[in-house]
Amino acid sequence: MALNASRNDLAAGAIFVAFGGYFALEALRYDFGTPFRMGPGFMPVLLGGILVALGIAVAAKGVGKPDEAAAPPWPWRGLVLVLGTILFFAATFRGLGFIPVVLIAGLATALSSTRNSMLSALVISVGLCVLCLLIFVVGLGMIVPLVGPWLRF
Amino acid sequence: MKTLFKTLAIGLVASSALSAVAVSAQDYPTQPVTIVVPFSAGGPTDTVTRLVAAAMSEDLGQQVVVQNVGGAGGTLGAGQVAAAANDGYTLLLHHIGMSTAPALYASLPYSPMEDFAPIGLVTEVPMTMVARKDFEPASLEDLIAYVKENGENVTYANAGIGAASQLCGLLFQDALDIKLTEVPYQGTGPAMTDLLGGQIDMMCDQTTNTTSQIQAGEIKAYAVTTPERIAVLPDVPTMAEGGVENFNLSIWHGLYAPAGTDPAIIERLTSALQAALADENVGNSFAELGTYPVPASEATPDALAEKLEGQTALWAEVIAAAGVAAQ
Amino acid sequence: MDLFSSLGLGFSVALDPFNILYCFVGVLLGTLVGVLPGIGPTATIAMLLPITFSLNAETALIMLAGIYYGAQYGGSTTAILINLPGESSAAVTAIDGYQMARKGRAGPALAAAAIGSFFAGSVATFLLAAFAPPLARAALNFGAPEYFSLIVLGLLVSIALAHGSIIKALAMIVLGLLLGMVGQDIYTGTPRFTFGLRELFGGLNFVAVAVGVFGVAEILRNLENEHEREVGVKAVKNLWLTRDDIKRIIWPVLRGTGIGSVLGVLPGGGHILSAFASYSAEKRLSKHPEEFGKGAIEGVAGPESANNAAAQTSFIPLMTLGIPAHPVMALMIGAFILQGITPGPNVINEQPALFWGIIASMWVGNLLLVILNLPLVGLWVKMLSIPYRVLFPAIVLFACIGTFSINQNIYDIYAIAFFGIVGYLLIRFGCEPAPLLLGFVLGPLLEEHLRRAMIISRGDPTIFVTRPISATLLVLALAAVLVAVLPSIRKKRAEVFVEED
Repeated sequence: MALNASRNDLAAGAIFVAFGGYFALEALRYDFGTPFRMGPGFMPVLLGGILVALGIAVAAKGVGKPDEAAAPPWPWRGLVLVLGTILFFAATFRGLGFIPVVLIAGLATALSSTRNSMLSALVISVGLCVLCLLIFVVGLGMIVPLVGPWLRF
Repeated sequence: MKTLFKTLAIGLVASSALSAVAVSAQDYPTQPVTIVVPFSAGGPTDTVTRLVAAAMSEDLGQQVVVQNVGGAGGTLGAGQVAAAANDGYTLLLHHIGMSTAPALYASLPYSPMEDFAPIGLVTEVPMTMVARKDFEPASLEDLIAYVKENGENVTYANAGIGAASQLCGLLFQDALDIKLTEVPYQGTGPAMTDLLGGQIDMMCDQTTNTTSQIQAGEIKAYAVTTPERIAVLPDVPTMAEGGVENFNLSIWHGLYAPAGTDPAIIERLTSALQAALADENVGNSFAELGTYPVPASEATPDALAEKLEGQTALWAEVIAAAGVAAQ
Repeated sequence: MDLFSSLGLGFSVALDPFNILYCFVGVLLGTLVGVLPGIGPTATIAMLLPITFSLNAETALIMLAGIYYGAQYGGSTTAILINLPGESSAAVTAIDGYQMARKGRAGPALAAAAIGSFFAGSVATFLLAAFAPPLARAALNFGAPEYFSLIVLGLLVSIALAHGSIIKALAMIVLGLLLGMVGQDIYTGTPRFTFGLRELFGGLNFVAVAVGVFGVAEILRNLENEHEREVGVKAVKNLWLTRDDIKRIIWPVLRGTGIGSVLGVLPGGGHILSAFASYSAEKRLSKHPEEFGKGAIEGVAGPESANNAAAQTSFIPLMTLGIPAHPVMALMIGAFILQGITPGPNVINEQPALFWGIIASMWVGNLLLVILNLPLVGLWVKMLSIPYRVLFPAIVLFACIGTFSINQNIYDIYAIAFFGIVGYLLIRFGCEPAPLLLGFVLGPLLEEHLRRAMIISRGDPTIFVTRPISATLLVLALAAVLVAVLPSIRKKRAEVFVEED
């Protein structure tokens, strides 16, 4: 496990290389154009290449310089629940409607903190639901089904 | 029978409120009506819609709400209405882009003619061929001679693929059989900025955007794109006067419901639209924009259907000839 | 004394009690809606636009202008308190503002923002009144090559945004530039990096990206060490600025006002650079640059002033030429038209009461804003005493609903999740999000102006150096790079100067 390099720099560099590589490779499929009429591929290929180079440089700088501080623990519960909630929100907002989605999403996000019990999470989600209804639907006149078509019979 | 089946199918797939369809059309409307504008708030189409919506809500006795669903050249909002419940509570106000989308977008998830029930035409906004104020040609005849001679050395601004300004440029180049250097912009606002600053030569845009600049002498106007001269710019000749035949272009706006909407509801909406267009306030506001409400005879489903069909055919040809595609 | 009689006319309109009332309502509503996470000024105005329809033209536009300043201020409040910027300028405020809040100095941060904004707004309004037409003319000399050079300068200067590794900051900028290119290419209509989704043709939504890399990433960071400590901000020490704070913000406010006023006049994207430029300038000029990024009050006061000055002067192209400098101004054009006024060069002559009334009301609006917000500072700061475990579910939900309500686009919410995880990872690995956002907003402009300049010059790249304004900007950019990458040279030169003394 002894790695004589900064894990942070290596990881950041890898992310940059991955993004740069994706953009550059994908952009190769677009018309590159001429200097007079640059095509849609011109800038992304150029910038993607630069990003790959920068990513390598970031990683290279980290070699031989291990991180001083130990990495903080991964917030697995938060990652799954917070990101999962956002995805759930996006997938069901139109179908289930405002009230059910806000209730469920509020509950799930609240539970991603280990400091919330089931009861306090329930209270938070109901409270938030009322607050959101008042602000967005009543106050701002947002047009959205309160109970979505999936739940109507 | 087919319509009924489609109604049911859409209803089941989207599990939309079937009860709303069952409500007698005579009671319509019993809740606020939403008009979707497939462009962001503040644009010319949005402005037209808001004026009409306010007047329509008076006639319908229900609030008419405007909702902006912008993106992908207006096809996102249109697609959303095509898939909406056909209960008469979700409508679409779209412009000429309704007829160009099939030619521009290869994979359009809806059909402008089959997935919508036309309600009526709303307005036709004329366009103007304009140029920076120190542009050489003095008249429309001069301009034609000039662009024929200089061709690609003339820069022509447009607001991107499928924009009214691009369509106008395509027609113009097609009619004169010339090729200009087209310079795309993110909307006509920035294009107008560069025209005012003399950074580019020409542009063609709706009177909504150009009238005040023309009147102030900030830009030169060579022609209007309608068959007749227009009231706010009486000195500007038509294309035909300059010898460009068959050049008839206006940005027409139409109001649509999703296909399969109860004919009685369509009828009710048509009469509300006609009442709104006859409204004095709407007329005045339109005049301020350099346009006018269409006469009642054109604010009908038939007139809109005919317009849509004719324009779809026209643009399919022009766009294919120019080799333009958004996708 | 033409200006004074005009301003007199303007104030007679703006000080009409009815108009003051609506100006206040606008400022209040703008602040309250703008403070919602995920909703920046553009979205706030789009949402509140309809309520102005029933009013007469002057009142409606005065109220709308009020909504605009209010929204801008509300957006900064969210950026400072919970690290959630609703627009690009607030992303700069968030850097040091949020750090101040974490140290229990949210009060001074908000107060500095309010005072800086008020001062900058007042000065810029005066500029607008006195020099609008000539300034607008001058701005028209900026064509595509000039904007391209300006953006290059802005990008290079803004490396100062990073308080860590410069090379990582550069990489974040480039990543931002690339992300800004997602969507339909305006030149050819080619959809780029859209995975075939038409919802992405319009590009990624700025708010979704900002909420992801700032807000969601921050929440995930806070959930890392939950067992050991209650996260969030420390106890609030004081609400008001100390004597030392005031001394520290005077120059940043003045410089920010100057930078913002100049950049705001440029209709092709100058205002975007204002906050970033001010931050960079303050960091360069500061005697203690190491404090930047850790809660330096100059990093709040300067950019906020610059942003507000630019917000004010960006009315210049709109009011004198009828051309919108940014999406908010485009919305204002729509509002003008709905009121039966076509914005254009003639408004100043044909509707003097309206023109000067709006200008005078800007000053009134800024005053109302500061009166409204200084007492509100206490209230906002109290919000921070809400336990984090209650606050963050609220942030997540508000951000999702708010972002969705802007365009009714579900993919904007998926984007929040995507940028939440990407942002979290990058921040965890030592990169900072602000440069990414700058790149994101400037990417499309950079490409657009470069390609346009090349089309206009018919493929001749010398256009960038043969046009004097563009050449000057590029020389400045080069100088900025030299100063940044060769600090040793600077040191040596400083020594030389010392010796000569």
